[in-house]
Amino acid sequence: MARLLNRLTTTPTHFTLALKIALLSSVVAFSGAAFADEPLKEGITPATDASQVPAAAKLRKDTVVAGISEPQGIFNPYFFVNGWDENVTNVIFSRLIDWDSHGKLVPGLAESWTVSPDNKVYTIKLRPNLTFSDGSPLTAEDVAFTLTVLYDPKYDGDTDITLANIAGGAEYKAGKADSVSGLKVIDPLTLQVTTTQPGATTLSKIGGPVLSKAYYGKDYQRGNLDYLRTLHGKPLGNGPYVYEKYIPGQEIRFHANTHFYRGTPPTPRFIYRVTNPSTNFQLFQTGETDYDAFTSRPDDIEQLKLLGFANINLYGSSDYSQVEFNVRRPALQDVKVRQALIYGLDRQKLIDVVYQGYGKVAIEPIAPISWAYNADGVNPYKFDPTQAKRLLDEAGWKPGPDGIRVKDGKRLELTLLASKKVLNDALIPIAKENWQQIGVLLKPQVVDFNALMAQRKSGNYDLASFSTSTLNDPHDGVWDFYSTEAKESGYNNPQVDKLINDGNAVLDIEKRKPIYHQLYTVLAEDPPVIFLGYRQILSASSARVTGFKPDIYNGLTGSLPNVKIVK
Amino acid sequence: MRNFILRRLLQTVPMLLLASLIIFMLFAKTPGDFIDGNITLTAARAAELKAIYGLDQPLFTRYLHWLGQLLRGDLGFSLQYQIPVSQLLNQYIWNSFLLASVALVFYWGIGLAVGIASALKPNSLFDHLVSVAVFAAMSFPTFFLCLLLIKWFAVDLHWLPVGGMTNTGSDDSGLAWMMQVAAHLVLPVMALVMLQAGSLTRYFRASMLDVVKMDFIRTARAKGLRERTVIFKHALRNALLPIITLLGFELPGLFSGAIITEKVFNWPGAGHIHIDSLAARDYPVLMGFTLFLAVLTILGNLLADVLYAWADPRIRVRS
Repeated sequence: MARLLNRLTTTPTHFTLALKIALLSSVVAFSGAAFADEPLKEGITPATDASQVPAAAKLRKDTVVAGISEPQGIFNPYFFVNGWDENVTNVIFSRLIDWDSHGKLVPGLAESWTVSPDNKVYTIKLRPNLTFSDGSPLTAEDVAFTLTVLYDPKYDGDTDITLANIAGGAEYKAGKADSVSGLKVIDPLTLQVTTTQPGATTLSKIGGPVLSKAYYGKDYQRGNLDYLRTLHGKPLGNGPYVYEKYIPGQEIRFHANTHFYRGTPPTPRFIYRVTNPSTNFQLFQTGETDYDAFTSRPDDIEQLKLLGFANINLYGSSDYSQVEFNVRRPALQDVKVRQALIYGLDRQKLIDVVYQGYGKVAIEPIAPISWAYNADGVNPYKFDPTQAKRLLDEAGWKPGPDGIRVKDGKRLELTLLASKKVLNDALIPIAKENWQQIGVLLKPQVVDFNALMAQRKSGNYDLASFSTSTLNDPHDGVWDFYSTEAKESGYNNPQVDKLINDGNAVLDIEKRKPIYHQLYTVLAEDPPVIFLGYRQILSASSARVTGFKPDIYNGLTGSLPNVKIVK
Repeated sequence: MRNFILRRLLQTVPMLLLASLIIFMLFAKTPGDFIDGNITLTAARAAELKAIYGLDQPLFTRYLHWLGQLLRGDLGFSLQYQIPVSQLLNQYIWNSFLLASVALVFYWGIGLAVGIASALKPNSLFDHLVSVAVFAAMSFPTFFLCLLLIKWFAVDLHWLPVGGMTNTGSDDSGLAWMMQVAAHLVLPVMALVMLQAGSLTRYFRASMLDVVKMDFIRTARAKGLRERTVIFKHALRNALLPIITLLGFELPGLFSGAIITEKVFNWPGAGHIHIDSLAARDYPVLMGFTLFLAVLTILGNLLADVLYAWADPRIRVRS
């Protein structure tokens, strides 16, 4: 996911710019004042004129086409590397436990589950009569096999199952046991998972997609997963659609799964077509795609509205952008300096410039769409250069001859690591100017993303700007601030550690809410990062199809079982 | 001639070895590796993965391992695509080759024709018009030109597809498939030709003009030969000599992909995997692909030398 996000946010501005110039003539000519300056509301804005659906799209009687950026062909939900392949596997594989649009866990293949009073033992009940798309039965054995593979010493995928703390997992990985003792198949429909410590994210880790043991486990031996690679291009799943064909760099084809547990999807065929940000609008406009994601910027939205046949959907993302402090640096060890840097940065201006009305200043490590978001009483750090200067004075940094503050003979100069992307293009000049006014000299270093991460790891930085990946649980947004995990930044706050532990130790959302609220308040007082912004995502579907209602937790694939072609 | 070719072939061996060392060091020394870019990993998991991929090994061990693989004809295994690098390249480079070679035929044809024509009548109205057109075409930013072509021919006129290589969901094969590919080729080829023909025209024109000024041409004219014979028989062959070298250099370009053009037109070529692999630090792909291009460059040079020797007997005599 990290890589996907990096790519999403580094959408080349040149292309968008050129697109605009190329289309400017038509837009200027035909857009009256009718649409101007009316910001789009979150949710679906229906098409105004369905008769405008392009002829090319109408020709497809039984197929829906959605755009995808760069699938790589690893169609196994536990082995893909980039998020685009995740989008593909989500079509083919259903999860045991799903998320609703606010990030709460809801039944998927699992009908229900119970958790022991000490929050360590999970009993998961499958729906009856589940099958894979080839008609073979899906049982608790398959789930146990899936989780076992994740504990294989050679497993190199992105899922870190050790965070689920299943009993006996470490022993299996080390070769001391022949199976994972915490996985117990009670009967074909019931799996009992015993963990060594409670964890709020455990259930979502256990409740992922299910691999068929008969298909993926035929040749399985511990320590040998190479054979699995040959199956990456021949997935067998249980999702709404069945994988048919992948033409590298062009398209991926699927047909409806007649064994899908929620009933055969109404549209017989589904295709992901490879598009890119520079021409996905034209492909949608000419009817070659029925669905795609676009940049949530006023100009792009105007153009979509002008098409008439676009159902436009605007929804919140669950990631956030941030600038991390390297707390090991003497100047930044002082909490007052960190606070001053936040007060002294006009984040509202930054967000306005970058998202042009379709983003929000971030104040805590969770997006507003989550159940855990609660801004009450959390210091919003409204832009206040006077306050920033006062804090720097208090910290002992006095203005030097050239206006840059000095303490013990050292000037307040800070390096900022940033990768090339739209957000940073705006952040660098704004921060430079803002901080200059409070007496801080900013020295930006623009490098590519991997280089940024490598340099951050070496500890050779003061500030680093990067966005998080998509976050499903509030724990995903804060684990990085835990003293043993924050190796790069050196952030260490025992109270934060305790609250992170507490928030992850209970499963009841109502009990977790106050813990996270308190945690966010503490993080605001002793900030590990400058929270920058939350963004909104824009997608559009053709009026010729109904049922697309994506959100950040389920993506477009959550809608697939309901997508219908309008007759 | 055979000795000449053999000697040149032998010379390529140390060159390739050096190229492999440089390529390896270049990528291995670039900050960040495949695991570093993934911010969702805990430190423990990141260390485990580095061990699985051998990224925790010392540089020299990694190089020897890679070299050993290469000698067995194995380009390695892509980290982000999880298939052998050779298979990955096979999926994309032929598409790039198709696009680039069709474009090459056109822009070399146009370049040659226009170059000769304007050299026949230097400083004529035609020559001036060509100069203006050439500079106009050359000065277009690639992505802008591509988008303009899409807007005109695909969006407004509906004549040609916006992008891709075939129609989405199409099961056509044989002639119908070829027609589809041809239709999808038109716009990217047009863009590439417009962008490339310019400089080539200038080059041919200059080369022709240089030759036309030479003594032996004057002699040929003085002998009373027809202008057509002078140009096509005497001048052209000599003007083409330096151009052979240029053709040799085109070889790697045929496979490496015109990155921006392919990207804008969604052409499933090799350009984007190179960029992707760099962004993800997918070393096996990066090193394998770059080495492949290095081999092509060396081969292209060799080919140019051989052709040159064939066309210009003086080289053979001296060697």
